[in-house]
Amino acid sequence: MSNVNITTFTIVVVLFVIVTGVGFGAARWRRGGSMMHLDEWGLGGRGFGTFITWFLLGGDLYTAYTFIAVPALVFGSGSIGFYAVAYTIMVFPIVFIFLPRLWSVSRVHGYVTPADFIRGRYGSRGLALASAFTGILALMPYIALQLVGIQAVLTVMGVGASSGNTFIKDLPLFVAFLVLAIFTYVSGLRAPALIAFVKDTLIYLFVIVAVFYIPTRLGGWDHIFGIAQAHFTAISPATKKPLGTFVPTSGSVGSTQLDFASLALGSAVALFLYPHAITGTLAAKRRTAVKRNMIYLPLYSVLLALIALFGYMAVADPVTAANVKKTGNAQLAVPYLFQHMFPSWFTGIAFAGIIIGALVPAAIMSIAAANLFTKNVFVEFFKQDASPALQTRMSQWVSLVVKLGALLFAVELPHTFSINLQLLGGIWILQLAPMLIGGLFTRWFHRWALLTGWLAGMIYGTIAAYNVATPTTSHWAGSSDIVFGHSIYIGISAVIINLVIAVVLTLILKATRVPEGADETLPHQYTADPDAVPAAAPAGVTAGLEG
Amino acid sequence: MSHATTRSRSAVAAHPIISAAIAILVIADIFFSLYTPIYARLTPKLGDFPFFYWYLLIFMPVTSLALWLAALLQKRLGPPSGESEGEDVR
Repeated sequence: MSNVNITTFTIVVVLFVIVTGVGFGAARWRRGGSMMHLDEWGLGGRGFGTFITWFLLGGDLYTAYTFIAVPALVFGSGSIGFYAVAYTIMVFPIVFIFLPRLWSVSRVHGYVTPADFIRGRYGSRGLALASAFTGILALMPYIALQLVGIQAVLTVMGVGASSGNTFIKDLPLFVAFLVLAIFTYVSGLRAPALIAFVKDTLIYLFVIVAVFYIPTRLGGWDHIFGIAQAHFTAISPATKKPLGTFVPTSGSVGSTQLDFASLALGSAVALFLYPHAITGTLAAKRRTAVKRNMIYLPLYSVLLALIALFGYMAVADPVTAANVKKTGNAQLAVPYLFQHMFPSWFTGIAFAGIIIGALVPAAIMSIAAANLFTKNVFVEFFKQDASPALQTRMSQWVSLVVKLGALLFAVELPHTFSINLQLLGGIWILQLAPMLIGGLFTRWFHRWALLTGWLAGMIYGTIAAYNVATPTTSHWAGSSDIVFGHSIYIGISAVIINLVIAVVLTLILKATRVPEGADETLPHQYTADPDAVPAAAPAGVTAGLEG
Repeated sequence: MSHATTRSRSAVAAHPIISAAIAILVIADIFFSLYTPIYARLTPKLGDFPFFYWYLLIFMPVTSLALWLAALLQKRLGPPSGESEGEDVR
């Protein structure tokens, strides 16, 4: 603890205490009925308007993924890290195609989780269970990424970092975990919703200052790009290969254009399959509001591209580069950069922003996972008559279990690039694409075909990810695999297997006339906006215009 | 808006050109960010930024604009269930 900067530390602690206070106070904010009701704890009383929903959705883009993981990959491997920028571009047109349909059909039928929709569409409890399981599983490494991000900041602050003792070393992680767990347990979704305002204010402040100020200290953008290009194209004497790439290569293995594109596409399709993103969307009051968010959010993500460039700034700053090299942990690139570039009080603000920016999404994700379990597993399969209080209690405990699972991912999986945690979650959640996105447009797929395809994709994806090795790490070392001689994101190859099996089996099952299950949805409900009908005919008569 | 009263069974059949324009806007957005060979290169530079980097930066507001146009065109197709144009930001 010798090298802790008192000013930085104090500012982080003060901001953290304020936010924790807000978190606990949130239990009383805009309170409707009893807190012991799932609508209150898990959905904030369903009273969030477009504005708050926008903050919640925007929060999904600005997490430790953005501030720690993406710049770390850029710092370590160069241009491949910018797949995250391409991803946040293409996510909006992709989502523009299917999300309004999901919003409409969910509004008509009162669906709250993706599993609710699957169950209604295919009349299959098994398929709904599979989708709930996938959602919960995939969120764990994503939450783990947030914990690793917090740990990176605390390490650079000098809190418990340099100790040889494993327990002391991981202590900051445990403390962060505990605070997150307690305030989520007490306040539910209200806590992150309210804190999101504080968080975004801090984040915009330091990102804008950083992207304008740091380049002037480092001799301008031309200098930064020049050093980065020289650094990543130089041949390493140890491996006889370049350290990274400055633009994705046209080769077949490594940081190639195909790998870049598949990582971007996989992440883009995955984002709005995650339960927390869907729950956030379903909270929107109107169909137009969903579309409007797809128009505004890309502007939001211009910042993400600039944050990715922090990775190059860290390369271009000799002090930061040396610090990171000493620890061998690329996750520390941005925290070290800020610490070296900013006066200590401003570093404190930036660090607090990153920590809070990781806590908010972690809380939202664990609540979404808990709701999914309570609604689609516990009530559906075990206790149909569970009281609201029991359901809430259940969700509170499950949110703790999910976070414990996340902690396990954070401690057990290699930290070379924490971005792999998010990509691992992506491999799993992508396996829902055929049943969820497919189901929004067609009822052609057979439920058992979808289930088999899902299982095949999950198994292949998990094994392939487990087998990825680097010279320093034997398992879980990456998210791309070489298929037919080309590097490609495992999530994409797995979902292709999934889809092919689903198509072939559907043809077989249809030919043999296996029962397809009831579909409680109607075509026009996918374009409906019930609340917008001004006392007209019942929804269903006038709808059905858009293809 | 005169199109708002359209009661066509299929808006796509009624407005093939507008429908195609929407499809092109959305698909082009995806294609030009997905097809990496277009922009995985260093030149031409814009200011200090190599092509790869400024292309991605500029693509963000372009996406916003394209989707705004697409949403605008969709309104002309006929709003679902009598959707009004009122703002509902709260």
